[in-house]
Amino acid sequence: MFDRDIWQEIFNTLKTNKLRTFLTGFSVGWAIFILVMLLASVNGMQNGFVSQFNDDATNSIFVRPGTTSKAYGGFEAGRRIQLKNEDLEYIKQSFPNDIEYISARYYANATARYKSETGSYSVHATHPDHQAIEKTLVVAGRYINEADVINKAKVAVIGRKVAEDLFKNEDPLGKFVEFNGLPFRVIGVFTDDGDDNAERRVYAPVSTYQRIYGNTNDINIIALTYNPTYDLTKALEFSERLEILMKRRHKIDPDDQAGLYVWNYAEAFDNISSFTAVLKGIGIGVGFLILIAGIVGIGNIMVFTIKERTKEIGVRKALGARPRQIVNLVLLESVFITAISGFVGLLFAWVILAAVGPMIQTPAFSNPSVNLSTVVTATIILIIAGVLAGLLPAMKAANVKPIVALSDK
Amino acid sequence: MIEIKDLHKSYKMGSNSLHVLKGINFKVEEGELVAIMGSSGSGKSTLLNILGMLDSADSGEYTLDGVPIKNLSETKAAQYRNKFLGFIFQSFNLINYKSALENVALPLYYQKVPRKERQEKAMKYLERVGLKPWADHLPSELSGGQKQRVAIARAMAGEPKVLLADEPTGALDSKTSYEVMDLIQKINDDGNTILVVTHEEDIAHMCKRIVHLKDGVIVEDKKIEQVRAEQYV
Ligand SMILES: Nc1ncnc2c1ncn2[C@@H]1O[C@H](COP(=O)(O)OP(=O)(O)O)[C@@H](O)[C@H]1O
Ligand SMILES: [Mg+2]
Repeated sequence: MFDRDIWQEIFNTLKTNKLRTFLTGFSVGWAIFILVMLLASVNGMQNGFVSQFNDDATNSIFVRPGTTSKAYGGFEAGRRIQLKNEDLEYIKQSFPNDIEYISARYYANATARYKSETGSYSVHATHPDHQAIEKTLVVAGRYINEADVINKAKVAVIGRKVAEDLFKNEDPLGKFVEFNGLPFRVIGVFTDDGDDNAERRVYAPVSTYQRIYGNTNDINIIALTYNPTYDLTKALEFSERLEILMKRRHKIDPDDQAGLYVWNYAEAFDNISSFTAVLKGIGIGVGFLILIAGIVGIGNIMVFTIKERTKEIGVRKALGARPRQIVNLVLLESVFITAISGFVGLLFAWVILAAVGPMIQTPAFSNPSVNLSTVVTATIILIIAGVLAGLLPAMKAANVKPIVALSDK
Repeated sequence: MIEIKDLHKSYKMGSNSLHVLKGINFKVEEGELVAIMGSSGSGKSTLLNILGMLDSADSGEYTLDGVPIKNLSETKAAQYRNKFLGFIFQSFNLINYKSALENVALPLYYQKVPRKERQEKAMKYLERVGLKPWADHLPSELSGGQKQRVAIARAMAGEPKVLLADEPTGALDSKTSYEVMDLIQKINDDGNTILVVTHEEDIAHMCKRIVHLKDGVIVEDKKIEQVRAEQYV
């Protein structure tokens, strides 16, 4: 393999057939280029999805009530389910080991006013745990705490956009802003990278809003994160248990999908993973088809060069070259052209991705790139491709009868 | 050294079959220098190809240095050729992108001799044919006579039992032909067994024995007084 004579021969054939070598090499290089670009695109898409979801903790589960679609337990279908504070307590006590953070969420809208500035914002009334679940980044002041909830304090954590709208250049911390005419003290400002809309939001203690809206203990959604040590199977198994328990508690048919939703982030993430896996599969498939064209091209050229070198091969055989040695020579040459061309294609793709990739930062597509495993896979593919391309020509070469060397025609 | 008995060979061409060798019997002892003569198409090359294991006979026996040559696999034939035989061709058949030295070293490469030793040995044989200063030249930079001398050095490099030459002077002018024959005679003087196919009388008479082929059989086989080529050089 690392025999100088073999390499000398390979370089000689390549040198005497420069254009042909280039053209065939190009087809393989192009194939690898496209393959890598496709894989990188899928990668970019995956990155895009992940960064969109990363807004929330990756282990979050949302319990959302609906309207029953099936009659069950003496109730008619079409019953609206309402979650209450007690549900939250019930979940907390039922799954002490499964739950990391848990918070209620109560939705409201607020027309806000500070001095002469006004605006309309959505209010998420929550527990302190909500910060961790939603990964809310407080950049000034603090988030809601237990005391706020117990005291039903009229405090608010406002989004950066809200602060800009209402307070202009003033520091909002400690100032009072009116929500629907009620004064709330601003205790914090938060940001949300990736989503401007989230910054037009206001967080307030859940208890405060429940009192404002007629002393209810209704809640809209229960958000929680499960034990972060759980893997996907355990996470899915837990949300299953949670769903069964909640449906039983609210007398909903276990098969009624409309009565109560338990939305598990892990599950959605799993769906996305299989979606991008399919895309990846398609990318690999297309790349392979193009690569096959390249392999056929190289095989074709090699058959041609073998034909031209028939006499030389005959002489070698007369001098004692074994069929195996001839086969090895041709295969090595084929693998060499294939591998070099492939790597040139890979390098091109890599350079382009390195230059352009980081600039692409749209929500659905970010930082497409080639990783080491792609390179390793490509190398293995190229070597196999080279062997495949060289197989037929090698067999042809091995079958050359040395007698042709003697016949001087 | 070589012994063949009742050798037959025919070529099939479509429905016809051309019977080229019709029962050849002969024996070559070690150290002989044999000319195989005959008109064009008489089957000289066919015989030499069979002796060189490049082709197989239809029937008959062939023994080379006591080894029966029969039903050889390609690999085995390659091994035997490499070990037993050296070939010299009319059109030299040097590999055009290899230097004279590398061409000479090629049979040694197939004998798996290490590179350095190969180079040294090849150089020794190049020196023997008087081409040491041309070791690094490509065949395209050599004259016809020089090419054939490189080819002879290559045939000898593997130290074979028998040298087979098919019209070694066929592509050369008469002066160069004599130079080549002079070299072949000297190699024979050292005890090497050589078979030379030729259709030229003067070349044949520079051997020690002439085997005459006609219509697929040996019509004459005689020892002769060797004409030394040296005097014409
Ligand atoms: N491979 C072949 N197929 C068919 N006929 C052949 C083949 N090789 C040689 N012949 C024929 O066999 C005869 C002998 O050929 P050859 O041995 O080359 O003669 P020479 O070398 O004496 O000129 C010729 O008539 C030639 O045409
Ligand atoms: Mg002939």
